[in-house]
Amino acid sequence: MPKLKSAAALAARRREIQERYKKLTTVAVTDGSDGRTRGSRGVAQAFRDEITKQGLGDKVIVRQTGCQGFCEQEPTVLIMPGETCYVGVAEADVSEIVTQTLGRGEIVTRLLYTDPATGQAVAKESDIPFYKTQSRLVLGANRWLDMLSIDDYLALGGYAALAKALEMGPEAVLDEVKKSGLRGRGGGGFPTGIKWETTRNAPEATKYVIVNADEGDPGAYMDRSLLEGNPHSVIEGLIIGAYAIGARQGFVYVRQEYPLAVANLEVALEQAREYGLLGPNILGSGFDFDVAIHRGAGAFVSGESSALMTAIEGRVGEPRPKYIRTAFSGIGGKPSNLNNVETWANVPLIINRGAAWYAETGTKNSKGTKIFSLVGKVNNTGLVEVPMGTTLRQIIYDIGGGIPGGKKFKAVQTGGPSGGVIPESKLDTPIDFDELNKIGSMMGSGGMIVMDEDNCMVDVARYFLDFLAGESCGQCVPCREGIHQMLKILNRICASEGKPGDIELLGEIAEVVQKASLCALGATAPNPVLSTLKYFGDEYRAHIKDKRCPAGVCQDLIAYYIDPAKCQGCLICLRNCPAGAISGDKNLIHIIDQARCTKCNTCFEVCPPRFNAVRKISGEPLPEAVAPGTAVKRKRGEQDE
Amino acid sequence: MAKQKNKSAFVGLKVTSEQAETLARLQRTLKPGTKTEVLLKGLELLAARTADASPPQPREILSPAPELAASDELERLESQALRYLSDLQETRNRSEEVMRRMVKNIAQTDKIITHYGSDRNYLIQILLDIQRDNRWLPRDALMWVSEKLDIPLSRIYHIATFYKAFSLVPQGRHQVSVCLGTACHVRGAPRLLEKVADSLQIRPGETSRDLKFSLNTVNCLGCCALGPVMVVDEAYHSNPTTAEMADIFAACD
Repeated sequence: MPKLKSAAALAARRREIQERYKKLTTVAVTDGSDGRTRGSRGVAQAFRDEITKQGLGDKVIVRQTGCQGFCEQEPTVLIMPGETCYVGVAEADVSEIVTQTLGRGEIVTRLLYTDPATGQAVAKESDIPFYKTQSRLVLGANRWLDMLSIDDYLALGGYAALAKALEMGPEAVLDEVKKSGLRGRGGGGFPTGIKWETTRNAPEATKYVIVNADEGDPGAYMDRSLLEGNPHSVIEGLIIGAYAIGARQGFVYVRQEYPLAVANLEVALEQAREYGLLGPNILGSGFDFDVAIHRGAGAFVSGESSALMTAIEGRVGEPRPKYIRTAFSGIGGKPSNLNNVETWANVPLIINRGAAWYAETGTKNSKGTKIFSLVGKVNNTGLVEVPMGTTLRQIIYDIGGGIPGGKKFKAVQTGGPSGGVIPESKLDTPIDFDELNKIGSMMGSGGMIVMDEDNCMVDVARYFLDFLAGESCGQCVPCREGIHQMLKILNRICASEGKPGDIELLGEIAEVVQKASLCALGATAPNPVLSTLKYFGDEYRAHIKDKRCPAGVCQDLIAYYIDPAKCQGCLICLRNCPAGAISGDKNLIHIIDQARCTKCNTCFEVCPPRFNAVRKISGEPLPEAVAPGTAVKRKRGEQDE
Repeated sequence: MAKQKNKSAFVGLKVTSEQAETLARLQRTLKPGTKTEVLLKGLELLAARTADASPPQPREILSPAPELAASDELERLESQALRYLSDLQETRNRSEEVMRRMVKNIAQTDKIITHYGSDRNYLIQILLDIQRDNRWLPRDALMWVSEKLDIPLSRIYHIATFYKAFSLVPQGRHQVSVCLGTACHVRGAPRLLEKVADSLQIRPGETSRDLKFSLNTVNCLGCCALGPVMVVDEAYHSNPTTAEMADIFAACD
C-alpha cells in the first residue's frame, strides 16, 4: 500500500473502497471480549465457511466487529442491508441464517430479540427497546467496522476529520474544540479545549499527547470497547489533538488486562503508519507525529494523570503533588496533555460536523453524549450511549429494562470507587457532570452499577473501601491510614461489633481523608461511605443498634432457619449443604444446626421456590426449632398441587 | 575458637550453662551443609522455649516433644531450612542444569531488552514481557535488567512489588481468576471465590504445591453481563456450580 500523500489521495482511496463495498451484503458478528466469552469467534468462522460453501463468497462480507453494547444478548449478528438483528447466535444457527436470510431474504424468527414487555419479536436492530432511545454518536460506528480493518474505517468517512483539521490550521482546530464544550470523559469533566490550550501555550518546544486507557473503575468498560472495536477513531482524535497542541509524540497507556484492545490497537497503529496517517509529513502537511503503546501493569492509582506519566517514564506509577500541572510539566518534565479514550473519540465528530452541531446535544454545561456501562442487577446489561441530561430512570428502566426477578430497585452507584450511590428518590435527576456532583456522586468514567433490595449498602461501602485500601499507593498518610481505619470500622459494623459513635467517627475520618490526601484517589475515597450514610443511614443504624442486616448480606448478622410450617422434607437442602449442618429425613422436617452452619446461602438458593421454606433471620431471636423427627405438615390443597 | 563461635551464634540469649552445652553439642553433630542461619535460629527458639523449664535431656531435644513439634514457628523455620537445603543441594548436584537455566533466563531477558532498544523508559514493558514468558520474574533476569540498563535492583523491585501483574514466585501453569469487580460483587462474587478456593484447596494469591494452579482475584474484566465470573487461563465461566468447577479443573492437565 503506497502512502497517502495528500487529502485528495485519501479521498480517492475512500471512494475506491466505498465502490467496492457498495454491492456487498454485510454480516456483522460482535466479536469483542464479551462476545468471545460466548463463542463469537466460532460463529464468525462458521459464517465464512458456510458462505463459501453456498457459493456466496463474492456477494457477502463477514465483519468481526467490536462490542455493540448489548452484552446480555451477545453474540449478536447484524445483516445489512435490512438491519436484521439476531441475538444469542450459536454456531449451530449459522447455516440456517445463511440459507434463509442471505440466500432467500427471509427472516429466521426464532433468533430475533423478543421484547419482554410485548412478547413480540423485533427484527430491526433500531427497533429493539435497548437501542431505540440511545443516541450512539461514538459507539454506533462499531457495528460498521471490522475490528482489524482500516479500510472499513475509511469507507465510513474515517480520517476525513484529520484531513479537514490539517487544512484548518491548529488555532482553528483548537477554537472548534473549545466552542464545542467537550469536557473530559474520564471523570473530572475538565473542559478539553482549555486543557489543550494550556499545553499548547506552555513554554517548551517538545510536547506530548496521551490517551488514558487505564480503565480501572470496576464495572466500567466503554473504553475497552472503543479501543477494541474502533481504535482508529481514538487514533484520529489523538492526531488532531497533537496537531492543535503542537506535539510530535503520543502515547497510549492501556491496561494489560485488556489483551484484545492492546492487540487491535497495535494493528491499527501499524495500518495508520502504512497509509501515511502516522509518521513524517502526514498527508503532505509537513506535520510529523507518531504513537507508542505503554501497557499498564495493574495499579488503579496509575490512572491518575501524574502517576500515569511517571509510569510512562518507566518508574513506579505513583502520583505527585500537582502544584505544577502536567500541562506544564508532565512526561520528562515536558508539557503533556492527557485525555481519556472516549474524549479523544469525540474529537473527529466535532471537527467533521462542527462545534455548533455538537453543542446541540446535551445540557447547558455538559455537551454531547456519554457512554455508560449499565451493569449489576439490571435486565439489559450493556453499554449505553445517551445525550447528557438523560435521567437515570430512563437509562435503568427504558433502556436497561428494569430490575430482574421482580425485585425492588434500591440504588445505583455511579463514578466507580470515587463516586457515590444514588437512591430511588433521585432517579429523575438529569445526568451531567454538575448534577451528579450535586447529589453526592460523580460522572466518573461512566460505570453505573444497579443494586436491588438484596444488596446491603454498608457492605457496598465496605467493598469500595476494601478496593481502595488495596490500591492506595501509600505515599500519604491521610489516604493510607484513613481508608484503612474507615475500613476497620465498617468491618466491625458488618461483624455485629458496631458501637455507638461509629457513624460520627466515620464522618470525621472521611473529612480528613478528603481534605488532606495527595491525589484524587484519596480525596474522593470517602464518597461511597458518605453517600451511603446520607441516603441509607438507617441501614447503618440497624447494623449497629439492632445488630440486623436488613438486606440479609452480612454473614455475622444473619442466621438461616427452616420454617417448619413450610418444609416439605424433600432432602434437597440437606444433600446440598456443604457443611453437613442440616439434619432430617424424607418427609421429616429439616433442621439447621446453627453451630455447624457456615452461612454459605446454599440452602436458601436450592430450596424450591414453591416451598420457600428457608428464611434468613436477622436482628431477632431464632424461633424454637421443632423436635428432631417431626413429620412435615401438609395441607390437603397443597398436596394436590 | 570453638568457644567464640558458640558465643556468636547465641548472642543475647540467656541460657544456663547446661543448655549452652547441649546446644553446642547439637551444633557439632550437624553436618557442615546444614549449618544455615535458619537452623541456628530454630535452635535459639528451642533454647528460649526450654529456658524456664527443667534442663532437657539431649534425647528429648533430638526428638522434639509434641508441644514443640506443634509450634507453628518451629515448623515454619524447619520448612524454610529444608527449602534452603534443597536449593543448596540442587545447586551442588545439578550445577550444570542450574547454570543452563540461568543462562537461558539471561539470554531471553537480553532479547527482550534489545527489543525495546535498551531504553530505560521501557522498564515496565520489559518486566511485563519477562513475566509473560516465565509466569514470574526470576531473580537472575531482574539482575540482568539491572546490570544492562544500569538501574538499581531496589528500583526494579519497587516496580515488581507495586504492580499487580508481577510475581516474585513461580505461578501455576493454569491461572484461575475470580472477578471481584463491583458488578460481580453485587451478584455474589465473594461466595463464588469461596467455592473456587475450597475446590482448589488454595487461597487467593497462592499457588498449589504441584504448580498446577494459581488463584488470583481481579478487579473487573469488563464482561459484567456474565457476572460473577471465573476465568481459567483464557476461558470465561459464568457463575459455575461446584460440580461444573470440578469438571473445569479436571480438564486442565
